Order: sequence, then structure tokens, then C-alpha cells
Amino acid sequence: MKPIVRLRGGSFTYPGAPAPALHGLDLELRRGEVTAVTGPIGAGATTLLLVAAGFAPRLTGGTLAGERESLAVRPGIVFATPWTQLTGLCHTVRAEVAFGPASHGRPREQVLAVADRVMGQAQVDHLADRDPHTLSGGELQRVIIASALALEPDLLVLDDPAAELDPAAADALYALLREVAEAGAAVLVATPDVERAARVATRALRLEQGRVVKDGPPSEVLA
Amino acid sequence: MIGYVAGDSPLHRAHPYTPLAWAGALLLVAFAVSTPAAIGSVVLAAVATAAVGRVVPSVMRPALLLALPTWGLLLVLHGVLGPDPRVALGPLSLSQPGLARALVLGGRITAILFAFLTVLATVSPPRLVEAMTARGVPFGRIYLLVSTLTLVPRMRSRAALILEAQQCRGLRLGGSPPARLRALGPLVLPLVLGALAEVDEQVLALDARGVTSGARRTPLAPPPDRAGERALRWVLGLLVVAAYAAKFAGHGL
Repeated sequence: MKPIVRLRGGSFTYPGAPAPALHGLDLELRRGEVTAVTGPIGAGATTLLLVAAGFAPRLTGGTLAGERESLAVRPGIVFATPWTQLTGLCHTVRAEVAFGPASHGRPREQVLAVADRVMGQAQVDHLADRDPHTLSGGELQRVIIASALALEPDLLVLDDPAAELDPAAADALYALLREVAEAGAAVLVATPDVERAARVATRALRLEQGRVVKDGPPSEVLA
Repeated sequence: MIGYVAGDSPLHRAHPYTPLAWAGALLLVAFAVSTPAAIGSVVLAAVATAAVGRVVPSVMRPALLLALPTWGLLLVLHGVLGPDPRVALGPLSLSQPGLARALVLGGRITAILFAFLTVLATVSPPRLVEAMTARGVPFGRIYLLVSTLTLVPRMRSRAALILEAQQCRGLRLGGSPPARLRALGPLVLPLVLGALAEVDEQVLALDARGVTSGARRTPLAPPPDRAGERALRWVLGLLVVAAYAAKFAGHGL
């Protein structure tokens, strides 16, 4: 199967930065795979997610050298801090989750049906009528994950998505990532939680100083 | 308090364009009239609007806090330094035309503040988003307007969090004015830097959620726009036109 994203010799430098955040990166992401990325803080994992999903350099500025090919048309992104990912324009969780498909102009009934389905998947359906600004960090993060799933992404990138979650919710989230991949998306997750990542990842990368130093089965890379 | 106050008043239930049109009409009429009596009526209309929205207690304080310094400045500039004839007010000798001018200018500012603070207090930002989405307004414009309307409450809640955190780390807020000024640093810097960092992530999140897709957004729960409200907005428009027609014809109030 053709990879949904392919990077060859990819190097990315942020605007004004003296050195690249990523160097010489060769990466292929495929539908059905969950790829876990680990490494020390500052290793370039967040940048890798942004480059893979096409947000860098398009929205961040900077320079991407090397080749990047992408077939992804609906990338979804989830950061560690849910508060910064709220639209600020919705007064219910349902509206927040429905925001993405509504932005794509899908018919109202479809938008609401998708929102209800993904709220169930992310276990936030009981919060549907709550104001997102009144939720706890963990509840809010699950709403943000539901919002990303509502886009029905073909590529889902997540940056330490369980940082705000309790252990049970983190377990459920990682299980959900596998479901999303099995439904046909490529999933790329940067995480320090190697134990949970090892349970669901089909492949793992270890980054150090912007370079991939290990790429292989999770049992080897995350051990 | 500046910002939305949940409620069930006629203004809260109205289509968001109606309170906006009302406030816009008050603003324009406030500039069309030029006598203290007329501007007094506009101020009364603005205060009455806040009463209809049941938000007078929320609106009064910020309106007066913002208007009173301007009133003070206007009274000094026009009342004390204005032309003759003069009237005695206790130990002060004030310019009669200057006082009238100060009343008109101060009244305009007061009316505008009351009208727009009432709009902020009674128009729910998400309902406004839905109303604008239903009219096909591009998302960029909606976001710009609603972000501006919600800026003060968002910054205030963020500032409160930062203040709590800094106080836990030993920041002392009391003391002399210079000490209070020094305490602003640990508040303002994280407030501004945090807001900038947040913007970065929010841009990515909004882009991922399709706001730049170019598609026309689907409104999910557009507020009803009744015929009576649409008629009222037309009447307000005609009232503004009439006020300016009278002003330019030399029959202005």
C-alpha cells in the first residue's frame, strides 16, 4: 500500500532558528498503522508531527528541505494542552465537536450524527450539553480528541495526548488510537508513555536532537 | 463586569443582530443630535436598554468607570476653559457654552458605553456565531468579531489564574504605588506571552478543523429571526437616516 505521507531527507528549520529542528528525516506513514514517537524533550517530536501533517511550514513558517509527499486530505491534530485547542466559539460540547465537519460544509444532519458517534467513541457523550469551558482537563482533552475524530481524519497526529488523562482514560485513548488506525487512518503519536504506546503501536521511532536514531518494532524501540 | 451575562431577558432571546442594530442606531443617533436635552434622551434610551436586558448592575459599574474620567476631562476642558458667558457654580465660574458642549460629548460617550456594554452582556457569542454563519459571513470575519467581543473576559480569567499562581510563589500585591506597579510585571508578562503561545496552537487547531477549507460553514442551531425583529431593524435604520437628514437640513435636535 502506498504511504499516506513520505518524507525523504527531510530537514526543518523554524524561522530565525540557528539550527534545524529536524535533520535528514526519512519517514513513511501508512494507513492502518499506529506509529509511536519517543525521545527526550526538545528532540523534535512535535516538529515531526507538524511536518508530517503538513502544518509546518504552511502555518508555522520556516523552511522544509528534502522531499515531502502526502496523500492526506483530512489531517487531525491533538496537542497536550486542551485549553488552547478550543474554538472559543461554541457553548456546548456537541457544538465544539461538530465544529470541524460543520466547517467543511457538510449537511447539518450528517454533522450532528458524526458528532454524536465520535462523542460516544471518546466517552464524552454524557457531556454533550455542557459548556466546554466548565470541564476538567481530562474531560476537555477527550472532547478535543472527539473533535479531531469528527473530521474523520485520514492522518491523525497527537502530541502527548494523555498528559491530562487519568490512567483509565489514557488506556481507553490508546485503545481508541488502534481502532482509528484499523478504520483506515494513519496515526502518529508522540508520547513519553512508552508502556501504553507499546501496547498499540505497530511501529516506533526514537528521536534525538532532531534525528531518527531508532526505527522499528515497538518491542525493540520502546524497550 | 464586561462580557456576556447569562439570562432570559427579551434581549437575550432576541436575534443577535437586533441588539447590535439597536446599539449601532443609538451610536449613530448620538452623533446626529447636538443638544444636552436630546443627548440626555439617548442616554436614557441606552440605560433603558440595559434595564430591558436586566443587566443594569453588570453594565453600570464598567460604564461609569470608563465614562467618569472622560466626564472629568471634558468638564475641565470645556467648562473651565470654555468661552463666555459664564455661570457661577459654587466657588467655580464655568463657561455656559462649554458646559453644554461637555454635556453633549460626555452624554455621547456614556450612551455608547451603555449601549455596547449591554450588547456584550446580552448577546451570547456562540449565538452570534450561529447567526452570522447562517447569513454566510466568512469565518475570518466572524472569528475577528467574536474574539474581540470575548477578549476582555478571556484575558480576565487568564489574569486571575496567573495572579493566583504568582501569589502562591510569593508575589505581594499590596503596599505603596511603586510596589504595586512592580507587581504588574509578573502578571503582564506571562499574560501576554501565554496569549501569544496560545494563538500559535489555536491557529493550528482551527486550521485542522477546516476553517480555511473554503466551504460555507453549516449553521447547527441558527437563532430564529422573527419578522417583527427584522421590521424593527429596518425602522432603526430609517430612524438613523431621518436623524441625519434633519441634522443636515438644519432641523437637528
